[in-house]
Amino acid sequence: MTELIAASTPPKVEVTEEQIQTALKVFFSKLSAAEVSAAQSCVRCGLCADSCHYHLSDAETASMPTYKLNLALAVFKRHFTWMGLIFPGFVGAKKLDQAMLEEWVDTLYGRCSMCGRCTINCTSGINIPAIVRAARSAMAAIGMVPKELQSTVNAAVESGNNMAIPQADWLDTLSWIEEELQAEMGDETIKIPIDQPGKRLLYTVNPREPKFYPLSLLAAAKIFHAAGESWTFSSQFYDVTNYGLFSGDDAHAGLISGHLQEARKKLGAEILVLGECGHGYSANRWDAAQWNREEQDAPILSVIEILHQYLSQGRIRVNPQLIQKRVTLHDPCNLVRHGGIIEEQRDILKLAVSDFVEMIPNRQKNFCCGGGGGQLSMTRFSKRRLAAGKVKADQIRSTSAKVVVTPCHNCVDQLSELNREYKLGVEIKSIVEIVGDALVLPGKG
Amino acid sequence: MPWDALLRSATWGATLLCLASLGVLVLRTARTGRPHLYSRPGGDPLRGVVYAFTKGMMPWEKESVAKHPLTFSAGILFHLGIAAAFLLLYAHLLALPLPATATQLLMFSSLVGAILGFGLLLKRALKPPLRRISSPDDFLSNLLVDLFLLFTTLFHSDLIAAPLWLLSATLLLLVIPLGKIRHCVFFFYTRTLFGMFFGRRGVFPGPKAR
Repeated sequence: MTELIAASTPPKVEVTEEQIQTALKVFFSKLSAAEVSAAQSCVRCGLCADSCHYHLSDAETASMPTYKLNLALAVFKRHFTWMGLIFPGFVGAKKLDQAMLEEWVDTLYGRCSMCGRCTINCTSGINIPAIVRAARSAMAAIGMVPKELQSTVNAAVESGNNMAIPQADWLDTLSWIEEELQAEMGDETIKIPIDQPGKRLLYTVNPREPKFYPLSLLAAAKIFHAAGESWTFSSQFYDVTNYGLFSGDDAHAGLISGHLQEARKKLGAEILVLGECGHGYSANRWDAAQWNREEQDAPILSVIEILHQYLSQGRIRVNPQLIQKRVTLHDPCNLVRHGGIIEEQRDILKLAVSDFVEMIPNRQKNFCCGGGGGQLSMTRFSKRRLAAGKVKADQIRSTSAKVVVTPCHNCVDQLSELNREYKLGVEIKSIVEIVGDALVLPGKG
Repeated sequence: MPWDALLRSATWGATLLCLASLGVLVLRTARTGRPHLYSRPGGDPLRGVVYAFTKGMMPWEKESVAKHPLTFSAGILFHLGIAAAFLLLYAHLLALPLPATATQLLMFSSLVGAILGFGLLLKRALKPPLRRISSPDDFLSNLLVDLFLLFTTLFHSDLIAAPLWLLSATLLLLVIPLGKIRHCVFFFYTRTLFGMFFGRRGVFPGPKAR
């Protein structure tokens, strides 16, 4: 066991005074009035503790949201406030140094999925993920992002997708999906549109889909075909994810999201449609415009909103009798609590399945599955991630559902791991897959 | 100069200093700026702010409140007690006559606040997780408030003389901008921004806002 832990402990990186100054400069630059006000609002009442899935799983002080918040704020107070400078011990101010940076890495990367559940339960409403991200930005500026997370960002920057799938493989997968679609629809003329100019939608996906879940691509293509949609994939930039959101590196995050906008503009698509990815939605819908300092010149919609439109406009039909098993829904934090897509997925499931039950709590108050914040990529924190997922596992079990649906492929991965770890005996599916399963194909009644 | 008059002046001075310092702190905070938001709004920030100060604080909406009804209630009564004590303080300083019933009610509220404040202080001292996340500021600030509330009650019960009460008020007013008690202003600032953030994204009060 000791060997295993040793193997997962990253080598110690010595930071220089110059790096500390850089980190401080970046940290402060990320704090706007909201965060500075927050720094003066936390009363350390501790009421946030039970809202965090990490703290619920390990009961450690370091997992309390207020602890994590004040770990970052201690540095703010020490370096940017008079009281922190003159009486650091009195107000809990601490210098940013090697030890603090190491604790930041372990706590702010390793014990936080930036889900924001603490924020809505905070007495003052402090946006704790924003301050955690500011600290992560400081660490990103001096190369202290856990290397597993950084490599995911690097892959997206260098190859255009976070799994570094070669373009030929992407196109091969689409070609195979096209054959499957033709076989299923009994129509050899159906094509998967790639790089088609002037279409209404440019559809983006999580690279896990072509890599591990190609049938979700088939489901999406089937739905678009049934709806008579004008859509296309990009052969180059199709990755909806953006791990720059989690690493804290705005420059890379902006570049990654910029790829999708570049593809949309190049192809002249009217709407950028974000595939099923919670953080991808939040990053591209809300944050990318900030990172790139560009007004959104075209609508950015989640595929969930598109499916909801199809169903409400009668462009597609679903038969709930085709899905008889009890289905529950996991709300991805970044799509729901940070994204505002709340009821659409419910409306869809109520139409598409026979037996839908909610988890308790749900919607904006739902628990994080534990896969957010870059946790899935940071293997060194896997044990904590799985332990923190127990809250979600218990939620699922109490519904007696046989199928857990979530509009996020990162959540799908974490839920699949929880399924194995906690022997839940459920199937994990995405909304697109469920709608694909329940879809009544045109002309087939 | 008699002690009472001296401490009246000191309390007024401390009040002005406190207000000016808090004003400076708010201005300095505001000067860090609110970024221009480039994304298209998905909801109404104003509705989010209304939610933040109303439904968003209710036990049926907020799990942390529902799970800790005693701490929440104690916190509310503690803060009501503080408001009551300050009302009595400034009524005294301005020589405003208050109806006897109102004075009794405010005094009672102050007493309740003092008891609960000491309770919260004790909780912070005795519960290891709370102790671990606390700094000396957390203890001192609470203690100063509790003493002010206690002395408010004692003065209005004729158990202590005005100077001791005014001294506790002066000390408290001087400490307010220096430590955690400044949340008396920043709570509203942060909560407003919370409402604007979630309101603009259409998260709160909910999808109907979109």
